Amino acid sequence: MKRVLVVDDSLTVARQLEKIINDSGDLICIGLAKNGVEAIKMNHMETPDIICMDMNMPGMDGLTALRSLVALDKNVKVVMVTSLGGVGDKFSEALKLGAKNVISKPFEAEDILGTLRKL
Amino acid sequence: MAVKFFGQFLVEKGIVSREAILAAMELQEQKNLKLGAMAVAMGYLTTADINRAHKAQFSKDMKLGELLVASGALNAQQLREIITRQKEAHLFIGEALVLVGTLTGRQLQQCLDEFKLDQAPYVSDRVELPAAVANAKTWEMVVDLTYKMVTRILGLQFKAEKGRSVSRLETNYMMAALDLSGDLQGRYLLSVSAGAQKMVARAMLKEESVEHEAAVILEDSVMEFINVVCGNVAAKASQTGEAVNINPPVTIHPPAAGLPVPPGHTALCFPIHVGEGEKMELLLVIPGVSLRQ
Repeated sequence: MKRVLVVDDSLTVARQLEKIINDSGDLICIGLAKNGVEAIKMNHMETPDIICMDMNMPGMDGLTALRSLVALDKNVKVVMVTSLGGVGDKFSEALKLGAKNVISKPFEAEDILGTLRKL
Repeated sequence: MAVKFFGQFLVEKGIVSREAILAAMELQEQKNLKLGAMAVAMGYLTTADINRAHKAQFSKDMKLGELLVASGALNAQQLREIITRQKEAHLFIGEALVLVGTLTGRQLQQCLDEFKLDQAPYVSDRVELPAAVANAKTWEMVVDLTYKMVTRILGLQFKAEKGRSVSRLETNYMMAALDLSGDLQGRYLLSVSAGAQKMVARAMLKEESVEHEAAVILEDSVMEFINVVCGNVAAKASQTGEAVNINPPVTIHPPAAGLPVPPGHTALCFPIHVGEGEKMELLLVIPGVSLRQ
C-alpha cells in the first residue's frame, strides 16, 4: 500500500484528499502538513512514498518546499495539487524542480487517484 | 474542471509524459526569442544595448520595449515590427510536442478538440463593471469567472444582480478575502450569510449536511473556494500574458457597521442571490479612484 503525505493549509482540501486516498483501497494517507516547513519535517520522520502538496500556503510555499525536498532526496515523488496549476510559469517551474505532475483545483477523485497510482 | 493551459491538460490527463512536456518546453525556450533577443536577431540592437536597458529597468518601472523606445534605442515602428515577428514565429506547446516526436499532427488536433471541450465552460462572457477602474477587462474576467465557479464548483443556481460602486462594505456573517498582486492589484472578497456559508461548505466538502461541522471548517471552505477562484483567475490571466499573484486567503468577521473602503480605493459590489434570505456578495477593492461613480 502506497503511503501518502498531504500538504495543504486548507482544512477542506486536506480532508477531501485524505478521504479520497483512504477510500482508494491501495493508498493510505499517513499525515497532514499545513505548510512547507511541516512537509519537510514530516517527510523526514514518516518517509512517505508520495507527497501531495499545495503551492499557495502561508509560511513556506509549495514550490520552495519542493526545491528543498528534491535537494534532500532527488528521488522524492511530489505531486502538486493547486489552484495555480493552469498558470504556465508555475506549472513549468514545478516540473523543472522535479514535481511528477501538477493537478489543478478543483479536482476530481479520479484525477488524484489516477496520478498517484502511476507513481 | 479548472482553467488550464494546453500543456498542463495533456500531462494531467496522462496523454503526454512529464519528460515529453519538459523536452517540448525546452524547445520552446530555444525557439521563442524574448523581445531583446529578437531585437538583436533582427539587427536593430546589440547585446550591449539590451544589457544596458536591463540595468536601467532596476531604477525605472517600465517594460523593456517601452524603455527602449523612451531611451531612443528603438523607434515605435521598430518595436511593433519586433513584436509582430515574435508573434509570427511563436512556437506553441502543441507544435513543439509534434517537433519532439511526442504527438502526430492528427493526435495534436484530437487533443486540441478535447481541450477546447474541457475549457468550454470557462469561455468568457461579458460582465459590465459599474465604475471605470484600471485593468477593467481583467476585473470583468474576475467577476465572470466567479459566477462560473459558483455554478461549476458550488453547483448553485443564482441570480446575479448588476454590480454597483459602494462607499462601504456592508456587514455579513463572514467574509473571506484574498489579495491579488502583480499585473492585477486589489483585494477579492466574498461575503456570505450563515446559510450561504453552509451552501459553500456542503459543496466544497462534498457532504450532504454540514450542520455538525466546526465553525473553523465552515470558514475554511469559503476561504478555499475563493482560493480556487483566484487561482483560476491567475491561470486565465496568464493566457493573455498577465502575471497575477495570489496570497493565501484570510477570514474577516466584519463589524455591524460594515467595513470602510480604504482612501484612494474603489469598491465594487456584485450581489449573488443564492436563495431566499441568503446573502452572498462578491466585493472588489481596487486601488485608484474611479473616473465615473
